[in-house]
Amino acid sequence: MRGAATTGHTAGVYAARRGKPLATPGTMFVTPTIITLAFVVALPLAYSFVISFSRFTFLTPRVDQFVGLENYLKALADRYFWNSFYVTVKYVILVVGVEFLLGFLIALLLYGDLRFKGVYYAILTIPMVMSPVGVGLIWKMLLHPGLGVVNYVLSRLGIQEVNWLGSPAMAFWSLLLVDVWQQISFMILVLMAGLVSLPKEPFEAAEIDGASFLQQLWYVTIPLLKPVALIAVLIRTIMAFRTYDLVYVMTRGGPGVSTDIISYYIYRTTFMGLDLAQASAVSYLLLAVVLVLIAILFSVILKQEAA
Amino acid sequence: MKRSALWILIAVLVLVALPSVAFPQGVTLRMLMEDVPETHIIKALLPEFERKTGVKVQFEIVQYMDMHAKLVPQLLAATSQYDVLEVDNYWAGEFPAAGWLEPLDGYVARDKFDLKVYLPSMLDMVGYYQGKLYMIPMYNYAMGLIYRTDLMKDPKLNELYQKQYGKPLRVPTSVEEYVQVCEFMRKNAGLSGSAMQGARGDPIVMEWSNYLFSMGGDYYDAKWNARINDAKGIRATELYIKNLLENAPKGATAFNLDDAFRVMSQGQAWSMISYWWMLPQLNDPKKSKVVGKVALAPMPGGIGLNGGWGWAIPKNSTHKKEAWEFIKWVESREIVKRRALQGHAPTRTDAFNDPDVLKKYPYYKEALEIIARAKHVPEFQFSAQMIEVTGRELSLAAAKQKTIKQALDDAARELNDLARKANLKK
Repeated sequence: MRGAATTGHTAGVYAARRGKPLATPGTMFVTPTIITLAFVVALPLAYSFVISFSRFTFLTPRVDQFVGLENYLKALADRYFWNSFYVTVKYVILVVGVEFLLGFLIALLLYGDLRFKGVYYAILTIPMVMSPVGVGLIWKMLLHPGLGVVNYVLSRLGIQEVNWLGSPAMAFWSLLLVDVWQQISFMILVLMAGLVSLPKEPFEAAEIDGASFLQQLWYVTIPLLKPVALIAVLIRTIMAFRTYDLVYVMTRGGPGVSTDIISYYIYRTTFMGLDLAQASAVSYLLLAVVLVLIAILFSVILKQEAA
Repeated sequence: MKRSALWILIAVLVLVALPSVAFPQGVTLRMLMEDVPETHIIKALLPEFERKTGVKVQFEIVQYMDMHAKLVPQLLAATSQYDVLEVDNYWAGEFPAAGWLEPLDGYVARDKFDLKVYLPSMLDMVGYYQGKLYMIPMYNYAMGLIYRTDLMKDPKLNELYQKQYGKPLRVPTSVEEYVQVCEFMRKNAGLSGSAMQGARGDPIVMEWSNYLFSMGGDYYDAKWNARINDAKGIRATELYIKNLLENAPKGATAFNLDDAFRVMSQGQAWSMISYWWMLPQLNDPKKSKVVGKVALAPMPGGIGLNGGWGWAIPKNSTHKKEAWEFIKWVESREIVKRRALQGHAPTRTDAFNDPDVLKKYPYYKEALEIIARAKHVPEFQFSAQMIEVTGRELSLAAAKQKTIKQALDDAARELNDLARKANLKK
């Protein structure tokens, strides 16, 4: 066995020396990864695409019945799909927008001369590494209307108790608040990294020219930081579209359908409706929207780089 | 360099292939179990089964919400990783209808396994499906009324109630009376009338079903026509939503069982419609401030929601013989009694009537009555979807985004679609 392996190995080396590499170490190293990825990413993706044109359910797991665009049209005709779509788009825009603005502000503050920076960094990374389910459960207790700390503090300040998760108007914002609390660190850290890596010279030049802090920010910092900021927004947008755990733990899409985000809609179609074909179709509709957004963002980024 | 790369590749391949070349040993039964006290009670008894039979048992313990998603792919595969299943009554229609479960009639007849000891309501729910036995009842979670006895004995409240309603204050026996007492307690006892669980999805549906069944309503009629929007359904829903919006704690429209329990255990509600085994939880000084002040009664109106789990064997299990041996053991009189003595929710009448069990848990008498009269949600392929649809519409009505009539009509339309899809409509 050992002899055979050695012989094979030697033959490979000779082949390589003759200019015909049979397998370079590089290919050999990536082959297992590529095979694994093909099995766990590409194959399921392709399979679910095929399924989305069939009548595949958990009860009749067959893909031999081609139904064309039926599943897609059914989703588009469902008013609760459009509600979920609306809730999701509103959620993504607001959550990413708020996180970006607040995150940028905090990153600027942290970038300045500040004591105990290490402590702030440590605190900031904690929510990011927590599991969303844990975060949801903790916040659900904090926001408990009668027994939660948040309402207790508010009542002490003379502010009326808030029905955080029980009112359809408020539940959406409560969810947003928790998501911002957890995910803003990501934005801050990425933007911080961007700020730190900016070249010093343009700032020195601006200072010599007598630019104020705001002028420096507007004419130097923001243009230089744009590529990093766009990447941060891009990644967070993709992540926000996939939000699921928080909704599942905190509101289950309710009250009514006020927090019924699309990933939760897909989950229900799959595991309660048992309709994998329909769920795949909705997933591909979501993917299409996300892909368009990514394409737009990438074209902006690439344009920036070209400029 | 190249040589070491080759060795690494071989090592990786060997490691990947290793689990599939199982080490030949005795049979090991694998089971997916919910992370609840019941599972841990059984787990502690497993060494006895292993000693007796030489068969090893391995529990994979997960949260309820992960179970269905983990089970289905296994049941769809050529062979299942799990050899014994615990099947929630939500899936008790889906799993047999999909042909995933081994019929147990043959096993029962061969071994003269006694089914007569089981409560008929349990066998009906997590035993038979369309006349065939697929499950052995394992666990029960029927719902009843848990209320504060100290407040019921309070002379001032009694006097006031008599004055206001012209009748004595007593444990309510109809849904209308229940809502009335809840309102009275909210206005006069300085707490919520009912610690309710109105979160969208199964919490709101489970609780509302008690109101529906006790008012004489149902999901479907005998011919599988949806009837949740008939007069009884509408009245039950009106009372439910009135209680939820007026007499329950603020925010109860987003509460699940845990949230409702916290309110009740902190002494901030007069009652809760809940699982009968929540009573010992409320009598646990570590968790509750109302120890010794709570009692159990049937759902006002008489018929509460039944729920439970059953043991089953997947059709694609490779160890069916051993799986049946396990079910026989875990459901034997001796083991059931020992489980019951540790706080398990039994399904066998002999466990409920056992003097030792009754001595330790006197309220098992009421529990037995609650379970015997309880009714379960319709079981068919789309039970989970039926609950989802109903939950969504009830939550919309509770959020005042739809009228009660409109919400129930919309739910009925979708329920009819589901019955049609399952070929049940007659």
